Amino acid sequence: MSSSIIELRNVSKTYSTAAGDFTALINVNMNILAGEFLGIVGKSGAGKSTLLNMINGVDQLTSGEVIVRADNENISIHTMSEDARASWRGKKMGVVYQSFQLLPMLTLIDNITLPMDLSDNYKPRESKERAMQLLQLMELEEHAYKLPAFISGGQQQRVAIARALANDPPILVADEPTGSLDSITADHIFEVFEHLITDQGKTIVMVTHDVGLVSRFSRSLTIADGELLSEAVPDTKLNQGRKK
Amino acid sequence: MRPRWRKVLHDLIDNKARTLLVVLSIAVGVFSIGVISGAYQIISNDMSVSYAANHPANVELRMANYNTDVLTSIHNAQGIGEAEGRRVNNFRVRAQGSDQWVALDVVALESFSKNQVNLLAPVSGAVEAGKDEILLEKDALKKLNATVGENLTLELSDGTLKELKLVGIVQDVSTGAGDFLAPPFAYIVMKTLPTLRQPELFNRAYVTVAEGQDDIANIREVGTALKDRLDKNGTAVSRTRFSETHKHPLADTVNAILGILLALGILIVFLSSSLIANTLSALLSQHLRHIGVIKLVGGRNKQVFAMYLTLIMAFGVLALLIAVPLGGQGAYGLALFIANKLRFNLLGYRIVPMALMIQVAVGLLVPLVAGLAPVISGSRITVLRALSGDLAGDENKPQAGKPDRLPWFDYMLVRVTRILAMRGIHIPRPFIISLRNTFRRRGRLMLTLFTLTMGGAIFIAVFNVRVTLHDYIGAIGSYFRADVTVDFDKTYRLSEVQKFGLQVDGVERVEAWQFIGTELLYPDGAVADNLNMLAPPANSKLVNPIIVAGRWIRADDVRKFAVSEAILNFFPDLKPGDSMYLKIKGRTEVWEVIGIFKFVGREGILAYTPFEYSSQVLNLTNRSSSYRFVTTQHDRATQDLMAERLDHFFRGAGFKVRQAESGLASLDTASESLDTLVVFLLIMAILTAIVGAMGLTGTMGMNVLERTREIGIMRAIGADDRAVMRTVIAEGFVIGAMSFGLAIILSIPFTYLLSTIVSLAVFETPIDVVFTYMGYAIWFGLILVLSVVASILPARNAARLTIREVLAYE
Ligand SMILES: Nc1ncnc2c1ncn2[C@@H]1O[C@H](COP(=O)(O)OP(=O)(O)OP(=O)(O)O)[C@@H](O)[C@H]1O
Ligand SMILES: [Mg+2]
Repeated sequence: MSSSIIELRNVSKTYSTAAGDFTALINVNMNILAGEFLGIVGKSGAGKSTLLNMINGVDQLTSGEVIVRADNENISIHTMSEDARASWRGKKMGVVYQSFQLLPMLTLIDNITLPMDLSDNYKPRESKERAMQLLQLMELEEHAYKLPAFISGGQQQRVAIARALANDPPILVADEPTGSLDSITADHIFEVFEHLITDQGKTIVMVTHDVGLVSRFSRSLTIADGELLSEAVPDTKLNQGRKK
Repeated sequence: MRPRWRKVLHDLIDNKARTLLVVLSIAVGVFSIGVISGAYQIISNDMSVSYAANHPANVELRMANYNTDVLTSIHNAQGIGEAEGRRVNNFRVRAQGSDQWVALDVVALESFSKNQVNLLAPVSGAVEAGKDEILLEKDALKKLNATVGENLTLELSDGTLKELKLVGIVQDVSTGAGDFLAPPFAYIVMKTLPTLRQPELFNRAYVTVAEGQDDIANIREVGTALKDRLDKNGTAVSRTRFSETHKHPLADTVNAILGILLALGILIVFLSSSLIANTLSALLSQHLRHIGVIKLVGGRNKQVFAMYLTLIMAFGVLALLIAVPLGGQGAYGLALFIANKLRFNLLGYRIVPMALMIQVAVGLLVPLVAGLAPVISGSRITVLRALSGDLAGDENKPQAGKPDRLPWFDYMLVRVTRILAMRGIHIPRPFIISLRNTFRRRGRLMLTLFTLTMGGAIFIAVFNVRVTLHDYIGAIGSYFRADVTVDFDKTYRLSEVQKFGLQVDGVERVEAWQFIGTELLYPDGAVADNLNMLAPPANSKLVNPIIVAGRWIRADDVRKFAVSEAILNFFPDLKPGDSMYLKIKGRTEVWEVIGIFKFVGREGILAYTPFEYSSQVLNLTNRSSSYRFVTTQHDRATQDLMAERLDHFFRGAGFKVRQAESGLASLDTASESLDTLVVFLLIMAILTAIVGAMGLTGTMGMNVLERTREIGIMRAIGADDRAVMRTVIAEGFVIGAMSFGLAIILSIPFTYLLSTIVSLAVFETPIDVVFTYMGYAIWFGLILVLSVVASILPARNAARLTIREVLAYE
């Protein structure tokens, strides 16, 4: 719990729309440490999703740098092509969204196997076994051959998390994963996340507008109008070390 | 199975209607190409093989009576291979128990077993006829209802009846090939001729050349030399016909027709690919979210590309599974049909490798070409856009960099409805919604309109072509306006025929015509072609020529003639006023061309000279063996009846009648074969219309699918099933009506194009185009029905959507 796994330097994002340019992120600097459970909190429209999409490479930043140090590799994802980012993301970073984004025509187990199939990290037999283990982890093994439409929202979100873990990535980013779930179901998701951090050493970045969840993160940052306001658990020593 | 391929499989089978639509649209194109290319290959091979297999004569000579000595001299002439003498006489023949007389050309052979040229192939019964026995060519059975073993009654020119035993049916693909109008044949042995009161002498020679049997110039040379020799030695040759061994005389016509069908087939492929492009781009935009998810979890562009490429290739493969077997059957069916019509044989059912390859190529390439652009752009889309469901290419969504304003069409619609409303005209709301929907996706609308319009334009054009052809045939008929033509075995005085003829009830007028068989010569004396010269009275109302250049015949014309356009094949620069060398009754004369008229090129060169002059040439003043009768009524039935009556009457009065024929009898055959062609064109037109209708169904289905939310909202604010269905059907209707308007315009150039191609192929001359409201009326009805039917399924789906489903859709 010491080294920085993701580093953002002066990240800005400007959307150009018909109404004119809109800057959704202004000079964001941050370090995400390996093994932490980082919460990014802010009001609707603050720029949380935008920030997350800079980290997972779904969107392209306007200026600045995003560097990810996963599995002893230093990757500047802002320099990669969209296509290269996709393949990198598939192996190194699991992504979970508020709307679960499962493929409706595939069974749960196939949905979880898909990232392994695409990355070719595992042999077909292995990947199937692994998908089953992940389903067991999520306590969903009896639903393995159902279609997403036939399970509940909370269950679907757990499948989405299992899929995000398919290629055993060191980092998990989640955008309002509990946003559409009731509090008991949401609790269950948090338990899963906590387990992933303590038992598997994953790093998790989670975005939420719910300030009440701050206590569940190991650290949380607030974002407002595209600017990072405060760090609840500042770690100046480490930041200084980084900026030399 | 790997999950990504499982997804492809689900994409293929989960939406069966869409898969069926895409597969069928590919299949229609593959099928039509398969049928036509297959038939083309089969025919172009089998037509010549089957023709050549029967050792067709290279030179056919019609001659005065001659004996075996002359035949031997023909045999021994320079460059001659085989030579066979035959006697051909026309008889009226009747089957047992029937009172229907049929004119047959009865061919007498010296020996069936020594038959070397124009071979007879057995069909059923005996292959040789003994004394007083007869064989029928199988085509004769179409007119003569006879069975092997019964006796056929032949009527001799003096009226006596003779019976010959029908012992077998044979096929003769060579004699009369290339002549649509040739009468059916029957075969006897020479020994039977005395029974029929005919001399045991030949009047035809069927000759093959020893070398260069596929070199028409050589055949002409050898044939002309032979003819000159015969003429010089006192056996007059009245007509010669030259043809190559390995080329059916009608090969060019058939190829031209297949060429037209091929062009239409290619058009169908083209149209169906625009339909496929439409469906695939809609499919891709519906799948944006899936693509987004795949990329989110690590899918690369090329992996997405491979998945969707596999999907469209699967569509192609499924289409091939349907279309290839059907296309093979269709190809053989079409070939068989043409072969039967033109009296040649096919070598048996088979799969044509070339056609198969073409079909596979079309079936795989068409979806590939049509789907490549949407698949490439779909696989390149960014995750963000894909996941936000931002439909690529939705023209009317405000897009980055574009000013936010009402689309032009909506703006116009608002203005127009407002103006109309001020004048008290209120357009129903649902109709306005339909109109807006129609124009929402302009690219898709254009493709749908294009397909429907093409289908409609071709459909309409085919009807116009049909009328054009019939009009032309009718115009050709104006060269044969007599109601009944009576030919006698000898010449009679005009006054005598008139005196008797006018006694027959219903006869109004009698004209004597003469005929001079001549040959057109090149300046060096070689025979260019036969020239059949008819000689009606100069003021005859029974010819109504379509003059292209110069003038028609006059009573004071001497050694002058008007000639059909076909002569331009031999003398392309011929103008009225030019002089030509003609061989008439063995003498070479110089005649002046006074006019050129339009006529069916296929029937050889036809010429007219006044009766007033021909009677001098033939030395027959006011006499003729051929008479034209005008009756009070001119319908087909009356003409047939009058022909029968005149035949009877003149025989009764002791005239030697050869035959009495009703006026348009021969034209029926010609328009029959044209109708066959029109049927093919119509089938192709219907196929295009089907592609158009499928396109419309697809478009409506996609439009409804994309408007699920909107329909849900309509329902939520109280629209009932019928209101929802009405808006959807109205939309289909608007598209149908628009395509009809466009088809009217496009059908005009299509009519000209198609008429020109067809008339060049069949008549060897371009003809004047005639338009008919028929095609327009039928297509109007059809497009209304089609557009409603095409919208009903999507409309019902729309009406079935419940609010819950609509909300679940996102
Ligand atoms: N594609 C885009 N084009 C233009 N503006 C955008 C786009 N995406 C986001 N924005 C704007 O950027 C700002 C930040 O958006 P973002 O989605 O990051 O907010 P958020 O904090 O995730 O809000 P929420 O809690 O509602 O999800 C908003 O004002 C939004 O309008
Ligand atoms: Mg957000």
